[in-house]
Amino acid sequence: TSALCSLLSFVPPQSPAALGLVPRADRVNSGSHLASLLGLTDSGFSDSMEKMSRVTTALGGSVLTGRTMHCHLDAPANAISVCRDAAQVVVAGRSIFKIYAIEEEQFVEKLNLRVGRKPSLNLSCADVVWHQMDENLLATAATNGVVVTWNLGRPSRNKQDQLFTEHKRTVNKVCFHPTEAHVLLSGSQDGFMKCFDLRRKDSVSTFSGEATEAGQGRWWVMTGWVPVLPVLSCCVLRLHPSFAHGQMRDAECEDVLKTTWLLWRLCVAAPLGTLPSGPLFWATGQSESVRDVQFSIRDYFTFASTFENGNVQLWDIRRPDRCERMFTAHNGPVFCCDWHPEDRGWLATGGRDKMVKVWDMTTHRAKEMHCVQTIASVARVKWRPECRHHLATCSMMVDHNIYVWDVRRPFVPAAMFEEHRDVTTGIAWRHPHDPSFLLSGSKDSSLCQHLFRDASQPVERANPEGLCYGLFGDLAFAAKESLVAAESGRKPYTGDRRHPIFFKRKLDPAEPFAGLASSALSVFETEPGGSAMRWFVDTAERYALAGRPLAELCDHNAKVARELGRNQVAQTWTMLRTIYCSPGLLPTANLSHSVGKGGSCGLQLMNSFNLKDMAPGLGSETRLDRSKGDARSDTVLLDSSATLITNEDNEETEGSDVPADYLLGDVEGEDDELYLLDPEHTHPEEPECVLPQEAFPLRHEIVDTPPGPEHLQDKADSPHVSGSEADVASLAPMDSSFSLLSVSHALYDSRLPPDFFSVLVRDMLHFYAEQGDVQMAVSVLIVLGERVRKDIDEQTQEHWYTSYIDLLQRFRLWNVSNEVVKLSTSRAVSCLNQASTTLHVNCSHCKRPMSSRGWVCDRCHRCASMCAVCHHVVKGLFVWCQGCSHGGHLQHIMKWLEGSSHCPAGCGHLCEYS
Amino acid sequence: MVSVINTVDTSHEDMIHDAQMDYYGTRLATCSSDRSVKIFDVRNGGQILIADLRGHEGPVWQVAWAHPMYGNILASCSYDRKVIIWREENGTWEKSHEHAGHDSSVNSVCWAPHDYGLILACGSSDGAISLLTYTGEGQWEVKKINNAHTIGCNAVSWAPAVVPGSLIDQPSGQKPNYIKKFASGGCDNLIKLWKEEEDGQWKEEQKLEAHSDWVRDVAWAPSIGLPTSTIASCSQDGRVFIWTCDDASGNTWSPKLLHKFNDVVWHVSWSITANILAVSGGDNKVTLWKESVDGQWVCISDVNKGQGSMSASVTEGQQNEQ
Repeated sequence: TSALCSLLSFVPPQSPAALGLVPRADRVNSGSHLASLLGLTDSGFSDSMEKMSRVTTALGGSVLTGRTMHCHLDAPANAISVCRDAAQVVVAGRSIFKIYAIEEEQFVEKLNLRVGRKPSLNLSCADVVWHQMDENLLATAATNGVVVTWNLGRPSRNKQDQLFTEHKRTVNKVCFHPTEAHVLLSGSQDGFMKCFDLRRKDSVSTFSGEATEAGQGRWWVMTGWVPVLPVLSCCVLRLHPSFAHGQMRDAECEDVLKTTWLLWRLCVAAPLGTLPSGPLFWATGQSESVRDVQFSIRDYFTFASTFENGNVQLWDIRRPDRCERMFTAHNGPVFCCDWHPEDRGWLATGGRDKMVKVWDMTTHRAKEMHCVQTIASVARVKWRPECRHHLATCSMMVDHNIYVWDVRRPFVPAAMFEEHRDVTTGIAWRHPHDPSFLLSGSKDSSLCQHLFRDASQPVERANPEGLCYGLFGDLAFAAKESLVAAESGRKPYTGDRRHPIFFKRKLDPAEPFAGLASSALSVFETEPGGSAMRWFVDTAERYALAGRPLAELCDHNAKVARELGRNQVAQTWTMLRTIYCSPGLLPTANLSHSVGKGGSCGLQLMNSFNLKDMAPGLGSETRLDRSKGDARSDTVLLDSSATLITNEDNEETEGSDVPADYLLGDVEGEDDELYLLDPEHTHPEEPECVLPQEAFPLRHEIVDTPPGPEHLQDKADSPHVSGSEADVASLAPMDSSFSLLSVSHALYDSRLPPDFFSVLVRDMLHFYAEQGDVQMAVSVLIVLGERVRKDIDEQTQEHWYTSYIDLLQRFRLWNVSNEVVKLSTSRAVSCLNQASTTLHVNCSHCKRPMSSRGWVCDRCHRCASMCAVCHHVVKGLFVWCQGCSHGGHLQHIMKWLEGSSHCPAGCGHLCEYS
Repeated sequence: MVSVINTVDTSHEDMIHDAQMDYYGTRLATCSSDRSVKIFDVRNGGQILIADLRGHEGPVWQVAWAHPMYGNILASCSYDRKVIIWREENGTWEKSHEHAGHDSSVNSVCWAPHDYGLILACGSSDGAISLLTYTGEGQWEVKKINNAHTIGCNAVSWAPAVVPGSLIDQPSGQKPNYIKKFASGGCDNLIKLWKEEEDGQWKEEQKLEAHSDWVRDVAWAPSIGLPTSTIASCSQDGRVFIWTCDDASGNTWSPKLLHKFNDVVWHVSWSITANILAVSGGDNKVTLWKESVDGQWVCISDVNKGQGSMSASVTEGQQNEQ
């Protein structure tokens, strides 16, 4: 089996230099000696490689099968390792050391290596490794510092082969050389790494973690306080209960010692001032503990070691005197490392800082390629076979899951195994060329086989889109960009230019997850030419709600609405005016005529045409047509424009005008009186409105005329048509009465009380509110005041008010909001203005809070509100600087500030007014 | 009908999972798998990065703005099982509270209507929903509804503040007696409505069943002048339902299928006046829907991500009825 036996005549295919090692005369010299000792020659290397490839081929043919399964162990596992046949796994722990066969459906215990009545501490394993070339060879690292090798080929029950008792403290890691059968490496808490030749009784060479840091010895070799410390620590340890029972772990021991040392130093050494500064040595001595050692797959002579102080060292196996390279990889202990299985010189390291870092070791300085941030400290890291960017990690505490990461996507694990109930302590891919089987051992005393396809995939569960409707009707939408777009548009994550990621993805079916992802965030506007809620702001600002006669308010608001292109709303205002402004209140009845002739005329007319459009659809009686016979010819001309108006309306509240008519009609139609009036008054009204007038204001922006409104009308009204015959009959009067509405004076003639319309108006308000135009509902409510208030229940009113006020505040229309609050009659709403109205004032003289309500400060007995400019008491608006509390009349202060920015009171303060 | 006014370069290093505009529509908060939450000023089509909040240790799924009357407060929830409440103080954003009461990824956060005080609902993959109530002086009281949804809760959305019963009897000055309600959607394909009992405990009030796969998002429509309660829900099964409740007791909810999409529907979002619903599906597409007069939901536009201008299409309601 030995490579030594292999032919010496082999010409080395690769010199050390070619392997990335810097050829130096002295090193070659000293190295060759060691190499010969170990049997490590270049020729051996090539031979081993050949052998390795054969093994691979042999294994490559077999296909692994199995399922996600687990079995219970008797004790918590500390480490696992897989045999090269991928059919057996060894589990090692403090009180367990067993080999299980991995069968199709289950794990079967095959061998218990923990034999003997009273197992020694040598069997308390911190790590285990199965040789990847020799199925019979295993090595364990014991917590007492012993390295044990096991030969399964031994006939006796005890398979223990060799015992190396060279380490002083727990051995954290053992590692076989990937191609040399008899080379074993160990890394221990005592800070040393040892290389063993299994054919010899002791180590071949020792590597010290601190070898490069010249002049600093380990703490126990320091002179001066050596005699003191052991005594002290022994005392403490003796007292410590768990140590007494032999249950204390190394780390705990250390903690105790450390505490003892610190205490001792503080109490004894520091006052005496005799001893060197201990903690420094503690720091070096402590942090040099080796956590992991791994032979490089790429470089025959190289191995990496990780340390508790965050360092990673690269060693040449032939050079125990100094490391090749050292760099700080993590903040805090580096618990693990793993070389990339493909020949790339990538090293993944995981640390307590919760990060996994991938280093490119081929460059002169180790270059950080990727950094994955996990949730908890990283205990183990293992590259996933056949997936060059994937690695599996498990954590040392808190988190029990195993994650598989795509290093290019460092934030979301590509897959997650959640089977374990306690910390996962060992992970191993079952076969070096199979990416789908992962084995794991855990503190929960179970051994698991995970199938990749059964893994939960957080990426898949993640929401790839964000959507939000903004206040102004704009839409923020974030969505995942396609991989190709990501590649072209952004800086790629990896420096690996040879294989563009999007290209590679297609080639590699073994990687089911998107490598990297990014999102594009766009803000859309849902209405062209400005924000969709502009009308709301404009309307709110310009509406007049009080302080003028009702008719004027209505006219004003109608005008505002019309100017904003909201014809339906404008029309509603006009109608309200018509309904509620009885002639008696107005100076002349003619006013309504003049209004009709003015701007609002077109709108009234438009409505009547709308109704006519509707009438045939409803199959209404011919009487209606007849009654409007003379207007029909005009209608034809206007039809299209009327539709246009409708469409404009639709942009804001689609189809809203239609049901408005419908609602109005629905109510009115019940009264017979109305349509009696109809024929008389429609005729005289029509000629009054000259057609060209209204043709002008109509905009022709919207070219296409969707069939929407007509259809909707049909649908909206159909239930009524299909109802009883009485309903049908009532529809006709509805229409005629509607056109009647546009003839304002006709109503006065009929002396209908405004109350008559209250139901109608109520329904209209409800309609607007339902459409989301609570603004209209509230505005009408305020403007009409008592006229409608009693018809709408208090709760609804209050709801409208609060909704509207809330909206106004969102748009920062504080003044409007305040006005609405003030004008509201609902008690719950109007009390909003009384909240937070306390104003705390300081006296401008003595700077103390004014307690009394008067103008005179009761402390200094002077009037507080004196104008600093004119020295008179301010009785109106008092403005003051919050910095110096001096102020005065608004006008005076404003004038003063034009000339100077200093306080007019002469206090020297640079006053600020916002 | 729909056009891009602003493409925000977020510089997020991974997928963005949520984007939320604040109360005044001036700031946009985004969160991403890269563990960061970013806040942008998007006034006038601009995009100024205001803050880059780091504190989560996993992908951040969702963000939520609190009502400005409590200050500038943003909540974020993450895969790292934490909910972080961020607060702006003197122009700088800082972590104000961290809630680590869940055993699994927290998927959704939503602030209650401001009338109730500062209350945050958080839905988690551990199936629980927790409610954080600010009790003053930096203290948060936690109530937890365990096992709200088996397998996990994906979305929470509060009902707008509506005062039950007659207001006239309310003595003025006293705080009205609100009934607090919210909706949640989960991996059990259900939408559940929760109501706070008089003793302060949360009780399941309704179970809405129509989806055949995980419910991805629920959105309770803002009640701007609406007499009915409306909830929109979307699911992994590609369907979007509009749930309405007309009766005063709030017990009868009827679903109406808005549309069946071919892909997962991730989000539903109501416009401020609750008359337009934006729906985003797995095909990177946003559609806007509006209820027509006859009660049919009509698609009024498509928004395709990555394209400048969108085709506006009016689809008749019948098409979506099936």
